[in-house]
Amino acid sequence: MSNIEIGLWSFPVLLLLIFIRIPIGLAMMAVGFGGTWMVFGSTLMTMGQLKHLTYGTFSNYSLSIVPLFLLMGQFATLSGMSKGLFKAAEAWLGHRKGGVAMSAIGACAGFGAICGSSLATAATMGQVALPELRRYGYSGPLATGTLAAGGTLGILIPPSVILVIYAILTEQNIAKLFVAAFIPGILAAIAYMLVIAIYVRVVPGSGDALEPVPYRERFKALFHVWPVILIFLAVVGGIYAGIFTPTEAAAVGAAGTGLVALASGGLNWHKIVNSVLTTANSTAMIFLIVLGAGMFNSFLALTQLPQTAAAWVTEQGFSPWSVLFFVLVLYLVFGCVMDSLSMVLLTVPIFFPIMTSLDFGMGTEEFALWFGIIVLIVVEVGLITPPVGMNLFVINTMARDIPISQTFRGTAPFVLADIIRVAILAMFPSITLALVWAIY
Amino acid sequence: MYQALNRGIGWLARGIAILGGLVLIVLIVMTSLSITGRALIFLGLGPVKGDFELVEAGVAFAVFAFMPWCQYNRGHARVDLFQPVFGAFLNKLIDLIADVMMFVAAYVIAWRLYLGMIDKLNYRETTFILQFEIWWSYAASFVGAAAFVLVSAFCILRSLRALLGKPTDVTA
Repeated sequence: MSNIEIGLWSFPVLLLLIFIRIPIGLAMMAVGFGGTWMVFGSTLMTMGQLKHLTYGTFSNYSLSIVPLFLLMGQFATLSGMSKGLFKAAEAWLGHRKGGVAMSAIGACAGFGAICGSSLATAATMGQVALPELRRYGYSGPLATGTLAAGGTLGILIPPSVILVIYAILTEQNIAKLFVAAFIPGILAAIAYMLVIAIYVRVVPGSGDALEPVPYRERFKALFHVWPVILIFLAVVGGIYAGIFTPTEAAAVGAAGTGLVALASGGLNWHKIVNSVLTTANSTAMIFLIVLGAGMFNSFLALTQLPQTAAAWVTEQGFSPWSVLFFVLVLYLVFGCVMDSLSMVLLTVPIFFPIMTSLDFGMGTEEFALWFGIIVLIVVEVGLITPPVGMNLFVINTMARDIPISQTFRGTAPFVLADIIRVAILAMFPSITLALVWAIY
Repeated sequence: MYQALNRGIGWLARGIAILGGLVLIVLIVMTSLSITGRALIFLGLGPVKGDFELVEAGVAFAVFAFMPWCQYNRGHARVDLFQPVFGAFLNKLIDLIADVMMFVAAYVIAWRLYLGMIDKLNYRETTFILQFEIWWSYAASFVGAAAFVLVSAFCILRSLRALLGKPTDVTA
């Protein structure tokens, strides 16, 4: 077998391992190891590299942002800020038809500004908003669909763990990626609120309006979320202004949310241990995938498959937009069954060189930022699509009385909104890039 | 006997993960202090010397320390799409295979980390600013890596028991 053939064959083998439920990171590691063995005829090189590869990956300064952001999110869930955010959003939006569900979206967006994980956002806001939605008589599918979809704002609105990984893989500036994610994140929140507005009109009785709240009360409620605003400004503003590195910003954010949690009485030894264990679990999961993807991708680079594939695609003379369309559809399909981080780590090293070799009429950096945001959104759609959308299950465990089939149904309009949004962002790159141009 | 072992391994995985988490919290405090010091440099304060190096060494220790817990907790990402199709026996068999593979990976990682540490020790390599010897960080990380091997070995036993239809979890 030629090296290219070994590279090509590695994919069905890898997918087979993944689909029989071997942990994804482990499967990538095994195929990367085996593939390199086949290319070289010996394990000497890999074994030599492994002396420093694991330590090198785990001590990577840019990657150290990951556990820090995860811990920040854990402290944020204990800080009680989710409640304040929901109350503030409700004061401003509650009087509209479907307003309580819209408030949940608004609060998710706000929480996303201090939490880089979708699951944590869905879980935290679910605890606060689900009882309220039920109390005001909102229908089951709308309530669970709203929160599952709202959870995805956690990762879209910076800080975002997946964007950090994308930035490292494609050697892009993390700060610029965070800036680029901002407008699409706000658009997502607005689109979800529109979905709710339409939903409650199409399905009568699914969600009602509350009494309007006087403006004095509204500003008072808004005032209560100052810690969220302060932490967000410190973290994201500090990175833009170049005051600190992204890793330092994550540490500051974790310290900030930790202090708020401490002040609100939400932290005791037991809760600190739980936050640490949750962080430990997610961190270990992510780093195993990063390590496995590193081994798999360096094997692929050896076979020269990514370069050959990129050359082949350019030679065929496909239109760049049809290639992009194909790639996005592939992400949507795989997103239904794979978790977003593994998908990014597995595919970006292959797709990125192919995509950059095509001409989309923009500079390489602009392309990388725009592509990163679009990929982030399509892989996140996978979190709210059956059969394995994680957000759906997180919300489902909190609302046992609502069958999962109803949650699927409630989420469908949000998925549709996501697909329309991706199409718009793909057609008009300037939406994503405008803020980057304005700031840099 | 198995129950005692399960409890002991669970305790080990948990304990070492908590230790890693505490290191992470110390790093957060240290980094925040360092930034404050840097901002107040006109008052004669300054950043913590070598803060980058401390973050790198500390996070490496923490990530290694988190590995055993994730394995014990069955926390690694996997695609459960076909789980309902496979049936109970096949699923348990796959769990066993995955755990054996993870043990091999953990063993190779720990063994190679140990050799990497010996390399750094022989060359007496030190970090750039603090001049502390890099093998110390490798040695600290090796604690987590070794625990990862132990826990993965236990997980093989656990899956084997599940396959044979014996109880696997502590019922207390």
